[in-house]
Amino acid sequence: MEEKRDRKIQIVVGALKLFAEKGYYRSTIPDIAGSLGMSSGNLYNYFHSKEELAQEAIRYISSYLAIRIREVNESKKSSREKIEDIVRIYFETARDEPQMIDFFLRVYLSNREVFSDGCEGMVCVNEFITEIMIFFEEGVANEELRNQDFFTAFGLFMGYLGGMVFLYGERMLPKALESYIEDISENIYRALGV
Amino acid sequence: MAEKKLLLWLSQLACNANAHSLLNHPSLEEFQKSFDWLYHPLLPSLSSLDEILDNYEEMECDILLIDGALCAGLSKKGVRMRDMLEHFAKSCSHILTVGTCATYGGIFSAGGEDRSGLHFDGEKRLDGFSDFFEKSISLPGCPVHPEIVVSVITALAQGGSLPLDSYRRPKEYYGYTVHDGCSRNEYFEYKIDRHDFGHLEGCMFYEHGCRGTYSAGSCNMILWNGVSSKTRVGEPCHGCTEADFPTRGLWRTEKHMGIPARLPLGVSKRAYLSLAGVAKAFRIDRFHRRILEDEE
Amino acid sequence: MSRTLRLIEKVEGEVSLSYRVENGRLRAVSTSFFSSRGIEKILRNREAMDALVINPRVCGICGHAHLMATVRALESAMGNPKLTAKAEALRELTLTLEMIQNHFKWFFLTIAPLLGMKSPIQAAIEPSRTAASMIAVVAGQYPHNSYAIPGGVVCEPTIREKSILLYSLEKLIGYFTRYIVDTDFRSIEECEKIENILRMDGYLPQAMRLIMERGWERLGRSRDRFIVFGENGIFRQGKSMATRYYPSLRPDYIEESFVPESGANSVRYRGRHYETGPLARAMVAKRPLIREAHRRYGDSLLSRIMARVCEIASLLHYCRELIAGIDLSQESYIEPGEFPQSGVGWGVVEAARGSLIHRVEIEEGLIADYSIITPTQWNLVASDAEEGILHGALEGESADAPIELIFKSFDVCSVCTTH
Ligand code: SF4
Ligand code: SF4
Repeated sequence: MEEKRDRKIQIVVGALKLFAEKGYYRSTIPDIAGSLGMSSGNLYNYFHSKEELAQEAIRYISSYLAIRIREVNESKKSSREKIEDIVRIYFETARDEPQMIDFFLRVYLSNREVFSDGCEGMVCVNEFITEIMIFFEEGVANEELRNQDFFTAFGLFMGYLGGMVFLYGERMLPKALESYIEDISENIYRALGV
Repeated sequence: MAEKKLLLWLSQLACNANAHSLLNHPSLEEFQKSFDWLYHPLLPSLSSLDEILDNYEEMECDILLIDGALCAGLSKKGVRMRDMLEHFAKSCSHILTVGTCATYGGIFSAGGEDRSGLHFDGEKRLDGFSDFFEKSISLPGCPVHPEIVVSVITALAQGGSLPLDSYRRPKEYYGYTVHDGCSRNEYFEYKIDRHDFGHLEGCMFYEHGCRGTYSAGSCNMILWNGVSSKTRVGEPCHGCTEADFPTRGLWRTEKHMGIPARLPLGVSKRAYLSLAGVAKAFRIDRFHRRILEDEE
Repeated sequence: MSRTLRLIEKVEGEVSLSYRVENGRLRAVSTSFFSSRGIEKILRNREAMDALVINPRVCGICGHAHLMATVRALESAMGNPKLTAKAEALRELTLTLEMIQNHFKWFFLTIAPLLGMKSPIQAAIEPSRTAASMIAVVAGQYPHNSYAIPGGVVCEPTIREKSILLYSLEKLIGYFTRYIVDTDFRSIEECEKIENILRMDGYLPQAMRLIMERGWERLGRSRDRFIVFGENGIFRQGKSMATRYYPSLRPDYIEESFVPESGANSVRYRGRHYETGPLARAMVAKRPLIREAHRRYGDSLLSRIMARVCEIASLLHYCRELIAGIDLSQESYIEPGEFPQSGVGWGVVEAARGSLIHRVEIEEGLIADYSIITPTQWNLVASDAEEGILHGALEGESADAPIELIFKSFDVCSVCTTH
């Protein structure tokens, strides 16, 4: 079991790289199998379809971010500091593992039909959303963040980060992504704080 | 048949609803045959309160039932209620605090100084009567369900074990939450957050302040007056069995960025939100239709 | 001269009654209460809707009337939002059922023992338990629910609830015949002759005969002034002085003043004390049998007892009409819109013991002031023994008279008075 799980993750990681290079639609199962040095038949033992693989990929990304944000949530820091930590996690992921954020923005958000059966609503990014919710909820409970609708806050936070990473991906940012962390965190805090 | 146990009901600052509620027990007449009331504020009793006030130092009872909030300054006919309670507490075998007021202070504790339950002021443990803590049993509820009073008294009279929690509440009745058995459970499980008053459908956890999932009690298992419960008819549970009753904003759910500030008893935020996220992802048509709607 | 102090108990708590005995007669009657719970203080600065949960806890036997007075006060502050006929009928029904359970309990637990009647405890318990479960079937539980909210009621009764109500009501009617008067309950409403009742079987005729045998039928007469604020399918608003009737009252003519020696507030209407309760309701609504009792015995303990017990018949009849009229297909609740940031509202209902009045003042969305005037305050509290209602009933009475019976003929509620 454990072994199968590890192997699946290896496949996901390989596939994400390929998607980033060739694009999701242009990558076929044989391409993915080839890039991993395995046969297509063998790959089908792990995933029955490209959709299934894509769904596993989004769960993997969600969990990758969630584990890191959870550490932030469990720290004793203020909401202002936590915002900065979350922004850093997001930007570092975009810098070090660009294929992940790329997949999230270009494939998951723009091709909902791939995810309609099995990833209804936000089920496949549930782990990530849960951590963001906990961050918000505690910020309000501690009277650091303004009480409002979840989606207005979530949209502001994630939309902003997504936009910056998009600009970064298109090489339109004049400075290194990390150098914006400070200001962006401040802006988010000013928008969401009490 | 063994000798009848002698019960004594002493009201402090009360509304008398616990006493009236007891009269709704379906087998009260039969219960009355096995016990005598030294005094009950409604039922035929061996003594009048007047006689008790005059001679309490010579009297005893087996089970003392205290109703209403204790109030340091309360006296009747010049007899300090505190002294009288202490006298009977010493000699009786068990003390029952009947209702939320007698247990935690309840609704009237905010109405004046020095008011509390017998052993608790809200959640805070008091030590005024701590010598009697071990013989006390807490039966909160506003009012307490009559079945609880009757079966606890019966169990005490017959001996045997009565598992209690740290507030000394019998687990048989307070080991559950009010949510257990509510007819609106499916709407809770599948996170259908819409509820409109006046409808059979919907769960009141999300908008209308239902405290059922974190209030100890069996209102939805033993049903009130044998027929229903607040949440079944469509009134949110206001948590009247709890130490913090009455909280503020009793008809709305306090939320932080749309997330309920209080979650089901013992369930972590992460566990709750993960499950909620999954449930919310699916639209189940049945829960969006009226139950009584005619089908094609 | 020394004063006699008597503890009157089992009146939903206790009241202390004191008087002087001069030449064998009672003088300077006064009442006092042991505590006050401070409900009005508890309400201050709370959200208005919270009052719906807090106020029923004023009283364990008429808490539902307090709920209805609260919801009406809130609705009046909101400009009286529209209710469906179904919501109105359900509210009326549960309020009426509460009165029925009260009257049975009062007659069999409070009055019967004072007359030495050997009525079984079931006579009190069976009907009150049945009425309570009927309330619960629509309101969730009894005592202490808050199912009436601005805009209607929270429940959506179905054929299940309706048929439980229907058959339970027949049970209640059966208890009336079995325990009160062995006759068709409808005939009580039309009956004009006291002799007709006296000839029948049942605990009411028995109680009447016992009172008459002892020559007590004219005891307990008071000021002969009656007041009724509530109005519905069976009660009429107005005041009646002896048999003269004046319609329409204004709650702002009510004056409340604290009586220190009593520890409670007395109430007057344009400067005068009035009796409230079933006798007042029967006088204002001109019920033939009670008018006849009043003609013969005045506003005495017998008239009071008859008025309360016979009222059960009218209440049962009213319940039957209400249940039959409930149209299950109507809405239970119509969203009443936002609560006003400020406003004043009055809530008036007839409770078991008489007129109950709530007044709420809302400022910045919170309760700035709340006052509750209960029936027992009308009947029992006065700063001047020459004026008060209970005082009128006892003042000058022989020290050998059944003082406790006269007192309890008012169906006193201590907890309401000490809200
Ligand atoms: S706990 Fe509730 S029912 Fe009991 S005395 Fe207090 S207010 Fe009344
Ligand atoms: S209404 Fe309250 S008790 Fe019923 S299911 Fe919802 S949360 Fe639970």
